[in-house]
Amino acid sequence: MQTSFERLRAIVVKDYKLDVDQVDLETPLEALGIDSLGLADMLFNVEDEFHILVPPEQVDLRTIGDVVNFIDALIAAQSGTMSRPGERAQAIEAEPLHSP
Amino acid sequence: MRRVAVTGMGVVSPLGNSAQELYAQARAGHSAIDHLQTPFAGRLTAPLAATVRFDGAAHFDAPKLRMLDRFSQFALVAARRAMADAHLEIEMVDRGRAGVFVGTGMGGSISNDEGYQTLYGEDSNRIRPFTVLLGMYNAAAAWIGIEYQLRGPNLTYTTACSSSAVAIGEAWLRVARGEIDMAIAGGAEAPLSFGSMKAWEALHTLADVDPTQASASCKPFSKNRSGMVLGEGSAMLVLEPWDRAVARHAPIHGEILGYGLTTDSSHITKPSVEGQAAAMRAALQSAGLEATTIDAINAHGTGTQANDMAETAAIKAVFGTQAPHIPISATKAMHGHLLGAAGALECALSLLAMQHATLLPTLHLQMPDADCDLDYVPNAARSGVAVRTMLSNSFAFGGTNAVLVLGGAAQRGRA
Repeated sequence: MQTSFERLRAIVVKDYKLDVDQVDLETPLEALGIDSLGLADMLFNVEDEFHILVPPEQVDLRTIGDVVNFIDALIAAQSGTMSRPGERAQAIEAEPLHSP
Repeated sequence: MRRVAVTGMGVVSPLGNSAQELYAQARAGHSAIDHLQTPFAGRLTAPLAATVRFDGAAHFDAPKLRMLDRFSQFALVAARRAMADAHLEIEMVDRGRAGVFVGTGMGGSISNDEGYQTLYGEDSNRIRPFTVLLGMYNAAAAWIGIEYQLRGPNLTYTTACSSSAVAIGEAWLRVARGEIDMAIAGGAEAPLSFGSMKAWEALHTLADVDPTQASASCKPFSKNRSGMVLGEGSAMLVLEPWDRAVARHAPIHGEILGYGLTTDSSHITKPSVEGQAAAMRAALQSAGLEATTIDAINAHGTGTQANDMAETAAIKAVFGTQAPHIPISATKAMHGHLLGAAGALECALSLLAMQHATLLPTLHLQMPDADCDLDYVPNAARSGVAVRTMLSNSFAFGGTNAVLVLGGAAQRGRA
């Protein structure tokens, strides 16, 4: 089974046209050309890949490792509450869905 | 008013990605119109378009490319080419007195179309975070301003098919009045999304596919014309005060001599002979020229029944007995109708034609029309013709008529 890092790296490599060895946990997002606006775009694809809902609040993530930790925390928090990416949080709370 | 020189020219066009290639293809009478090769082509009644050879990844790094709709990509690349062509040391420019003026009819319509597909087609409740930035009409102008850090006016004009003629005209006014010292002005359009093409199709303005030759589907001023063919691309010009351009030994492609702007205020699509004629007269007046001094016209010439008839009547109204002797080129038969970028591309082509003492052809003029009986330079270019001043006509749905008066580069000595 792939780790969160490997899955995130696959997204980043594909979307930003990078080689796998250009991305490790210490890589600053800024070095990949991803600023705070770009982070919102990246997290949009993260939601699809990880079947999580990223809260709308702005987050301060500076490295790939920061993003991996952020994803893992969301997975732990939202485990068992989502079946589709992007479903409205309110709807999920009102009618909990079970993991496949 | 100051004289204004065109010192830079950059294009991303169906006829080529350099001014030289654009001119050579037009001079040779090559049409870039062809069958549209996209997955949705089979769902179009007449799948025709004039497309550009363009790979955004060759011009932008991946993070930036994700923020650029195709129309903004075209605009930025055309602006870069225009700036390179102008040989302008950007550090020498007072950036507070330099502006960007872009015309576009449909803005980031491809990105909007993709967003709608996600929401309605895929029943998703999510949409890409960049959708607003991709789709907004002023994105192209904004990105150009950011790239060159130009802090004067940054304006976007949306007057349908006259958008970029308006952009160039408004830029010209500001440079001529001494409000700014440099402008990047032009237009960009990327209208070949499924939604946009179906919308144009529903309006019954698009040409039928020519049964023998798809490239001949747009036939301006020909009796058998059936409509326009959409094209994509961008053309950008660098405008500077003439004296500054001469002082820095800039390459000078020509001169913007005047600009006329009128509105029909009568019908949302039907062209008005009076409105178009008034725009040509206003342009001549702004240039301080008599009609007798105009050597040639680049027509709006879309290939629709309504436009070509009205434009012919308007030219007759302005030029009277001289009208049959003024050569008229309708180049949309070759590069398609770039909508909001059409005026800029045709302005560039007209300047190039004047540089080469050539009249560009109106292709596929196959059948004479009693209502279109002027000299349209049918089917083949004419060389060795002294063309000192031209009108470039751009008329639009909504009724905004914009006419540019252009002077050749040879007129350096003009008072």
